[in-house]
Amino acid sequence: MQDKSWVPLFPDAASSFAWQVDALYFYLIGISLFFAVIVVVAVIAFAIKYREKEKFATPEEIHGSIPLELFWSFVPFVISMTIFLGGAIVYYNQYKIPEDTMEIYVVGKQWMWKIQHGTGQREINELHVPVGRNIKLTMTTEDVLHDFFIPAFRTKADVVPGRYTNLWFRATKPGRYHLFCAEYCGLNHSGMGGWVYVMEQKDFDNWLSGSVSDQTPVQAGEDLFKNKLGCASCHAGGQNQRGAVLQGIFNKEVKLVGGQTVVADEAYIRNSILNPAGQIVEGYQPIMPTFKGQVTEEQLVALVAYIKSLSGDTSATTPGPPAPKPAESGAMQPSSSPAGGSK
Amino acid sequence: MENVDSKNLGESQGEEKVNYLTNGFSLKSWLLTKDHKRIAIMYLISVSVFFFMGGIYAGLIRLELLTPASDLLESGTYNKVFTQHGVIMVFFFLIPAIPAILGNFLLPIMIGAKDLAFPRINLLSLYIYWVGGALTLYAMMQGGVDTGWTFYTPYSTTFSNSYVMAVGLGVFINGFSSILTGLNFIVTTHTMRAPGMTWFRLPLFVWAHYATSLVMILGTPVVAITILLLAVERLTQTGIFDPALGGDPILFQHLFWFYSHPAVYIMILPSMGVISELISSFSRKKIFGYEFIAFSSIAIAVFGFLVWGHHMFVSGQSIYAGLVFSFLTMVVAVPSAIKMFNWTATMYKGSVSYDTPMLYAIGFLGLFLVGGLTGLFLGSVGLTVHLTDTYFIVAHFHYVMVGGTVLGYLGGIHYWWPKMTGRMYSEFWGKISAMLVFIGFNLTFFPQFIIGYQGMPRRYAAYPPEFQVLNIFSTAGATVLGIGMILPVIYLVASLFNGKKAGDNPWLLPGLEWRTSSPPPTFNFEETPVVTWEAYSFGEESGLDIEEARRAHKVSPTA
Amino acid sequence: MAQHDEDKHDDHYHPPGLQHQFDDMGQQMDSVTVGMWTFLAQEIMFFGGLFTVYLVFRSRFPMAFAAGSNHLDAFWGWLNTLVLIVSSLTMALTVFFAQKGNRNMQVIMILLTMVFGCVFLGVKAIEYSDKYNHGLVPVNGWNKVIPEGEHEKEAAMALPFETRASAAESNAAAEEHHANPRGDFQIKDSDLDLVTLAQKENFLTESEKIGYFSNGEIDKAKFAGKVQIFFWIYFVMTGLHALHMIIGLGIMLWLLYKAWKSTFNADYYSPVEISGLYWHFVDIVWIFLFPLLYLLGRHFLAGGHL
Repeated sequence: MQDKSWVPLFPDAASSFAWQVDALYFYLIGISLFFAVIVVVAVIAFAIKYREKEKFATPEEIHGSIPLELFWSFVPFVISMTIFLGGAIVYYNQYKIPEDTMEIYVVGKQWMWKIQHGTGQREINELHVPVGRNIKLTMTTEDVLHDFFIPAFRTKADVVPGRYTNLWFRATKPGRYHLFCAEYCGLNHSGMGGWVYVMEQKDFDNWLSGSVSDQTPVQAGEDLFKNKLGCASCHAGGQNQRGAVLQGIFNKEVKLVGGQTVVADEAYIRNSILNPAGQIVEGYQPIMPTFKGQVTEEQLVALVAYIKSLSGDTSATTPGPPAPKPAESGAMQPSSSPAGGSK
Repeated sequence: MENVDSKNLGESQGEEKVNYLTNGFSLKSWLLTKDHKRIAIMYLISVSVFFFMGGIYAGLIRLELLTPASDLLESGTYNKVFTQHGVIMVFFFLIPAIPAILGNFLLPIMIGAKDLAFPRINLLSLYIYWVGGALTLYAMMQGGVDTGWTFYTPYSTTFSNSYVMAVGLGVFINGFSSILTGLNFIVTTHTMRAPGMTWFRLPLFVWAHYATSLVMILGTPVVAITILLLAVERLTQTGIFDPALGGDPILFQHLFWFYSHPAVYIMILPSMGVISELISSFSRKKIFGYEFIAFSSIAIAVFGFLVWGHHMFVSGQSIYAGLVFSFLTMVVAVPSAIKMFNWTATMYKGSVSYDTPMLYAIGFLGLFLVGGLTGLFLGSVGLTVHLTDTYFIVAHFHYVMVGGTVLGYLGGIHYWWPKMTGRMYSEFWGKISAMLVFIGFNLTFFPQFIIGYQGMPRRYAAYPPEFQVLNIFSTAGATVLGIGMILPVIYLVASLFNGKKAGDNPWLLPGLEWRTSSPPPTFNFEETPVVTWEAYSFGEESGLDIEEARRAHKVSPTA
Repeated sequence: MAQHDEDKHDDHYHPPGLQHQFDDMGQQMDSVTVGMWTFLAQEIMFFGGLFTVYLVFRSRFPMAFAAGSNHLDAFWGWLNTLVLIVSSLTMALTVFFAQKGNRNMQVIMILLTMVFGCVFLGVKAIEYSDKYNHGLVPVNGWNKVIPEGEHEKEAAMALPFETRASAAESNAAAEEHHANPRGDFQIKDSDLDLVTLAQKENFLTESEKIGYFSNGEIDKAKFAGKVQIFFWIYFVMTGLHALHMIIGLGIMLWLLYKAWKSTFNADYYSPVEISGLYWHFVDIVWIFLFPLLYLLGRHFLAGGHL
């Protein structure tokens, strides 16, 4: 990924407390080697030195030794206490949220991360943050347990339905880092991830005010399809994909569950994005989440344009028939929110 | 039933003494037996079947993870495969393995009793195990379950479309099998000891099983009620775990881990008991610090009930709860360390021989050392925030459960095989398989520590390509491990037909189980033994005729 | 359990009832007693899980639990408590007469114990059917279906002198006959008074402040959800307890058969004693269930304070 750290097979460290976790890790490796060497050397030495020399020998009985027992109870206890203290300090730093934070809201749902910045920008499966700022994530989920995990930041927290949990970090190194869901959440658990982009402040400001005006609708749609909305994780068109194949479907008849057929025109595509459970194509499960409230009208136009382009149609101009504006409150707000999560 | 029991050794003084295996051959004489040894043998067969089913699932998991994409198994199938691997291995192999097979067979013999205190309840526990197992297998054949073996809510109550009810009930029912086994062991240890068999003359195997039974009695009911509540919630679609209904998914985790953490000790304590026997027997030396090992078992059982919260460090519980559970976890590490040092010290100035069981015991020391030490990593709460739910956890608990429990189990099976069957297995193949298991195991699971720290989450059907190299190592190791596990089945079964006769006491050991014939008669002893020696006395004072044994050994080296 | 497999494998004298694995009656007696106590320890943990669940939710939603309690009839609960305490006495007397070897009194006491056990279950059945009729079974669709029109007829019959409309609005009796066309769980509007009271007196818990309100207003549906949790726990706890009673009655039946055949005497009465231990345990569980489910929070009915 980024510049390799000096230890091979060792993950990037890119948050303010990552070095503390690593230090604790190396301390524990040291302790482990210490005890492992003692025990392994003793076992091997005894095994060789006291190997059986005479069948059914009766070596002298040794009942035990109280001082020795106390010694090797006390020493591990003291060492384990140092480990506990070290762990406690690091834990405190990981979970004690500092005062001056930039707040970002996260909603998990099967199987995507929906993220909204305090300034209103929404992202899916991506998180852009500036370097050197304290970021506080306020997280909840619409369905089952998830877990927001960024290995390079050495932190994670479960995301629990009906509750808000928090996570904070201060990124120290610009770059792109893995974001995982670490709490098993069903079918596409392993696909529920993405990237965290750590940017210099001025890049981040650019990103915040960023425009995609220099893209054509098809390009913009492709970007949405493949990256921003993550449609491609189900609709890329392979054999084992959960979502319907989209190549070459435009203006063709598709067979629906229940035997009806419908022409896959612009209105149908638009409708399927906003209300996926409405008309399910035969052979597929109704598992697609609704994107109502997450895509703007412009983005819908771009998406429809892109899907049309998959069928070789490049006349990406006419948007679908004007439909009622998607509900604004949208899916960001958990039903029993006491504190207005999305504003 | 009666006609079986009555045909006892007292009546038949022919050339071949009637033992528990030859006392009746009909199917009925097995299915309606009250003999703890026959029940143990039936457990051995059933548990082995489950073990190999779980092993096949493990093989599928490793094959799928050979490549980063979810290609061999589609992710829905993969989720079912790892769930069923977990459910089968935890509830139907690891928990019953040592107590229900070796404990059942040996505990009464070791304390000089004719049988367990409640033979019929013992048989009932086997039937309950079968019913629970059958229900689980039925669910798996119908389409399986995909919740993970932890059944976390609200996924399991509301969102999963798989056979959660049937598997949950299977696990619930199976829980009573452990409860009844534990109850039997506790009562038997209290009231059935032979004259002279004081508490501090008990083999450490018995102490370990006593501690295990305490956990079974006090922990299993809690998970039973939890899974029952889960099933009722799933059935009624109202309840207490789904937050959409005002319930609390974290409460489920608390109740679940209140049992399932101590359940880890149900798995490891009996194995520790086996290892105490093996190390002492093959060093021909009294175990070092008997009382400390005995009480550390009890301490582990008691403290084991106070550390469940360390499974929930990142679940959103309060920082202070996390710190308390971390502290208690560190405390529970001490008794395990005590055992480790005492086993090592037992070899000091011993007369160490390297028969197959001893190879397993030494392997156990190595693997449990790694498992235990990485437990410190995970008890240290700051590190766990990073490590939990990654492959580091997977590697850690396999080091404890496979490295600890399975090696202890295999060592024990080899050690008591001559007693159980009267036959000696092939020592050559035994050693080969012990080495294969050790090497294959390390190759499989050590790389997972590294991938885990790099951040690869567990339960992933597809993973980023940078983790692939170590996953290939892991799968290669699993192949070796698989061969190492299949070999014993072949040569142990072969030994039943062509193995050498083992003799009553092939290693000249002082334990009571070696003072009856191999295989033992239905009521274990021709007359109730009177114990006058301390545990693990290898000298003449325990009545062993060493000179005679040496003479016999020169004539026929295996007997 | 013990009779038909006495040992035939050696020539020593074996008292009737001694099982093959034991050396003597003393050892057998010790074993079954230790066994039953161990079993009861297991039972305590089993119910302990349930009590934990109760405690967690009651501490979060005390008003919903008080509202649920108010729907239970404390008279029936009190009667059942009395019945069980007396049955414990007759059970203890059974042990006493078994030790004396008094067959007739044993049989009478066992019968009395069984009668009390059946009375308990009968009362429980009355209570359950009452919950069924009033839409208090916490599963939607599992209650008595009362179609829309019918309750008005009933209400009209109950109160012939009032107009239907006013009856439905103002009268508690009419409220009880609320329509329930799908057999859903439902609570009364008057249950919300408890929330109003707690809000006024300022003792709502943090969970309640979130759990009962929508946009600052009391939300009946949300509150009903919490009362539903109470009834869910009520049915699971009393249901499992009733199951234990039924098992206990089965044991009593077997004991009755044995006692009828004069099996028990001063030397051999351990089955009676350990069955008694079980019976007392089931009683004691009820002694905890009664106040927790029926009594706690009742004082709020009278507008009481914390």
